[in-house]
Amino acid sequence: MIKLENVTKVYKGDVVALRDATVDIAKGEFVFLVGASGSGKSTFIRLLNREEVPESGTIYMAGKDIGALGSWKVPYLRRNIGYIFQDFKLLRKKTVYENVAFALEVIGKPRHVVRKQVPAILELVGLSSKIENFPDQLSGGEQQRVSIARAFVNRPLILLADEPTGNLDPQTSVGIMRLLDRINRTGTTVVMATHDRGIVDTMRRRVIELDGGSIVRDQARGVYE
Amino acid sequence: MAISPVYAIRETAQNLWRNILLTSATIITIGVSLWLFGGFFLFNYAVGNATARWEGGIEFVVWMNADGTPEQDAAIRTALDESPEIKDWDYVDQDGAFEEFKDLFADTPELIATVSPEILPPSYRVVPADPDADVVRELADQFKGRPGVRSVVSADETIRAIQKQADKIGIVFFIGSVILLGAATLLILTNIVSAIKSRGEEIEIMKVVGATNWFIRIPFMIEGLAQAVFGALGAWGGLWALDKWVISGFNDTDSLALLDGFKVSDSEFTQTSLMILGIAVLVSVIGSAVAVTRYLDA
Repeated sequence: MIKLENVTKVYKGDVVALRDATVDIAKGEFVFLVGASGSGKSTFIRLLNREEVPESGTIYMAGKDIGALGSWKVPYLRRNIGYIFQDFKLLRKKTVYENVAFALEVIGKPRHVVRKQVPAILELVGLSSKIENFPDQLSGGEQQRVSIARAFVNRPLILLADEPTGNLDPQTSVGIMRLLDRINRTGTTVVMATHDRGIVDTMRRRVIELDGGSIVRDQARGVYE
Repeated sequence: MAISPVYAIRETAQNLWRNILLTSATIITIGVSLWLFGGFFLFNYAVGNATARWEGGIEFVVWMNADGTPEQDAAIRTALDESPEIKDWDYVDQDGAFEEFKDLFADTPELIATVSPEILPPSYRVVPADPDADVVRELADQFKGRPGVRSVVSADETIRAIQKQADKIGIVFFIGSVILLGAATLLILTNIVSAIKSRGEEIEIMKVVGATNWFIRIPFMIEGLAQAVFGALGAWGGLWALDKWVISGFNDTDSLALLDGFKVSDSEFTQTSLMILGIAVLVSVIGSAVAVTRYLDA
């Protein structure tokens, strides 16, 4: 599903964010990216979403070289990728329903599709009773559930999560991880950057560890360290 | 992917409302600049219509009787040809006079219907070698009272002064309106950039979930267009008032008989209206295109 071949990303000032990374992630896998701050986790995620382009190497998604995509094709690539932010990035003036519907409206989905899919995904994330609430009326965990609903409402093949539990307490984080695990079981590939040792050690999924931009460990059913 | 009209209208309305003060300032600036620009053209049309017979250096007109004889006509031609003080002359026959009449009164077909070429006098439009007012007056007097001559009318110094001042005022209007149009373009750009910045998070999410660049751009471009069209509508109202109460006022005042014909025809008004609408669209396209390409796609 996702394949990186000798990928290197260098930022201005010769800062190497990712160095000669080669990884193969199969469809339906759940992968944790671990490592200290500045180790290259976020860059890894941003490269997969084509927010960044590598200086060298090739990234394949479903067999296609995404570096070779024309800029006008990038939005169509992103429709197959869900993205979950650490700080949720919900629109404050929109309700829960409107926040999730927004992701479908802006890719031109017809209204009847929006009306059908949004309540279904909100039921999946356990927020059916809060569709008229605004983000400020929700807890942190609930806001992250809305963010996950928005990322998954279009049923993407891949879900990228950049420290989704970083702003949540441990108990709430467990609920979020259960939700991501449930989504993963539907066949969606999940790539999640995290600092949360407890979650990684509990879930025992594939772990890719980055240090100074290099992959130093790639372990099936791994632990944080 | 088609953009839903409901979505485009909703987003545009929200953008306009979000920056209501800047939006108002932009619309007013566009309106005033287009009003000045259109006013420049309307005054030019009106002055042109009022002084049409005095174009091309013509300093006096010898009006003949409509029922004059060919001999009387030939005598005038000979005098014009033989005078060393006359540089050039042009003969406007009754059909030509009727065409001029139709142009001048194009807005009142009922008046045109009452007139036929036979009742209109032919005329000689004379260009003297020396345009000095005293020389022209003396030369014109030589034709007064001749057989077949109905009257001799010379271009008064006032008409020349009006033409000269109208040119100067026109240039001031033109330069002022161009400067204001530039300011309006910058205001549209600023307004859109402000809207883009205030919607930064929304735009980031749109990009992440796969909205195309055009889908993101279009509401901003419609916003620029809406401001320009509202401004053009205001300018159109102002031009209508200018025509109705100022330009037509000259024509309705008996004491300003000198400016008989100082008016703008319907077709000239329509042309000017379409022109300011076209300029409004151009200004909005330039302003919004620069804004979305420099601040949205980066």
